[in-house]
Amino acid sequence: MQFLYRISCYFALSLLLAACAPSATQKPDSKAGAGAGSAQAPGADGRAGEGSRGGAKESNTGASSLKGLQEGKPPITPASSPLKDVFFDYDRYDLSADARTVLRANADWLKSNPNARVEIEGHCDDRGTNEYNLALGAKRAQSAREYLATLGVAPARLSTISYGEEIPVCKEEGEGCWKQNRRARFVLLQDRPTS
Amino acid sequence: MRIIILAMLCIWVSPWTAHAAVTGEIVGQGGQRFPIAVSPLKNLGANSGDSARLSTGIADAMVHDLELSGWFRVLDRSAYLENAQSGITLGTFDFKDWATIGAEGLVKGGFSVQGDEITVELRLFDVYQNKERIGKRYTGRVRDFRRIAHKFVDEVINQFTGIPGVFNTRIAYVSNSGGRFKEIYVSHLDGSEKFQVTDNHTINLSPAWSPDGRSVLYSSFKERNQTLFLFELFSGKEIKFMPRGGGRYLGGKFSPDGQSIVATLESGGNTNLYLLDRSGNVVRRLTQDPGIEVSPAWSPDGKQVVYVSDRSGSPQVYILDVASGKSRRLTYSGSYNTSPDWSPRGDRIVYTGRVGSRFAIFTISADGGEPRKLTAESSDSEDPAWSPDGRFIAFSSNRAGKYHLYVMQMSGDNQRRLTGSGGDDTKPHWSPRLD
Repeated sequence: MQFLYRISCYFALSLLLAACAPSATQKPDSKAGAGAGSAQAPGADGRAGEGSRGGAKESNTGASSLKGLQEGKPPITPASSPLKDVFFDYDRYDLSADARTVLRANADWLKSNPNARVEIEGHCDDRGTNEYNLALGAKRAQSAREYLATLGVAPARLSTISYGEEIPVCKEEGEGCWKQNRRARFVLLQDRPTS
Repeated sequence: MRIIILAMLCIWVSPWTAHAAVTGEIVGQGGQRFPIAVSPLKNLGANSGDSARLSTGIADAMVHDLELSGWFRVLDRSAYLENAQSGITLGTFDFKDWATIGAEGLVKGGFSVQGDEITVELRLFDVYQNKERIGKRYTGRVRDFRRIAHKFVDEVINQFTGIPGVFNTRIAYVSNSGGRFKEIYVSHLDGSEKFQVTDNHTINLSPAWSPDGRSVLYSSFKERNQTLFLFELFSGKEIKFMPRGGGRYLGGKFSPDGQSIVATLESGGNTNLYLLDRSGNVVRRLTQDPGIEVSPAWSPDGKQVVYVSDRSGSPQVYILDVASGKSRRLTYSGSYNTSPDWSPRGDRIVYTGRVGSRFAIFTISADGGEPRKLTAESSDSEDPAWSPDGRFIAFSSNRAGKYHLYVMQMSGDNQRRLTGSGGDDTKPHWSPRLD
């Protein structure tokens, strides 16, 4: 029952968000600059266009990576998500110019959707040791959170969690895969729907 | 290092004749292997049901341990000449049968089974001097027969080196062999008596033994936010450690006296080391740095903690004096040095260091100096953990494709694979010696 309740609330919230902020959701896509483009490429999963079929999916950020793991789904941010992943260099948690561009778009959407609460996930590639990577992931999530806060998003709406190297998008050896895993991901929290 | 090897050799040969030392097979740099035969055990009882399995099973467990130690060359059983009527006590067999095939040491034994109880008698003979060196009798449950073999090998190693072996121990580790989740397991070094500690279908990490060998501390995402759990193996009871005022515990290690835990706490993106009591209450914060402080391990006297910090701009190994709170940097070569563990002997620290794009195991003196690389960088080797005697290092490596657990001597010699679960086996932590 609770599950159904959550689903229906989420659906209602999604409709609301989609209705309220069509221009905001368009923003990252319409800015077809280098920043938005490079941010999207690694997360793209071939499911682009899914969101265009119905307004309800406009705010679909995907489930938390841990929930995805439990359900056997890859921890991929859907192409339709209004909140895009940001990426980091190896063993770094400072924000590149590209990352800041993406975060500005994410901040715009969050400011247009003031009831949305987001959990920022920090992820790492699988090189190095697990505990260090958990700490590094926490730093990455915190970097993103702090930048969003400076852009005017209330910090109380933003929680963080680090999965370190534990829930990768891909497992191949090589920079092509590693760079996809060094990221912060933004997942809408659905436990406190507002209406 | 040369001095350490020489010292070990001197202790090693002392119970035996100088002759034995000369004929020992030279392997690697400064190591020797002692030729030893392990005869299948005789069934001394009336019950013959499980006879063949126990006869060779106990012998096989001893052979596994002797070879894993790196100090023995176990002669192939198919070369044994002795006839079946020979006994297991002095005077009931001919030492010549064993001298002829080149054995200098000989293990013989027998067993009898009553119900689910087994009695095992084991002896170590000196083939050159025609003498018995060790004679032991063990009683236990039949299904624990391997543990009896491990205990006897620990005695054999004591006879040769002056320090008991570490084969009656267990390894705690992380494996995803059951699917996509990472769960905690414990097993003996030979993979027997494997027990799954967690089965919560999430991510469980950083298992660490309590010094009494009765509990395993680990971190888990099973309640969504990562925190520490202390699982008691014999009762199945579990305690959760929750940081007051928020944050997440990423991992922790018991102090050698079992009274304290040093834990990594992440809060607001910063990770620092905290001293906890054994119930998980915070005693005090140990590091104050705004950066990353992780992967603590205690010195054997419980006065210092070795850990990783990125305060220099890259992860490096530091040593913290717990009483004063002062830290000193230990590693200077390489730009990525993590997961240190402090030898129970006190003198050396083992850690993972990056070499090019690979990871290798290094040791360094606790006083600093030049690190020594123990593993090749043709693959990755990570997560080193000392044996309770400080003479071996367990680690994980992907040299055979997936990550498996391996054991090597502290010199890096005799690297041998322990596990092959089909998944990735990582994060080994070696138990203390068990009863």
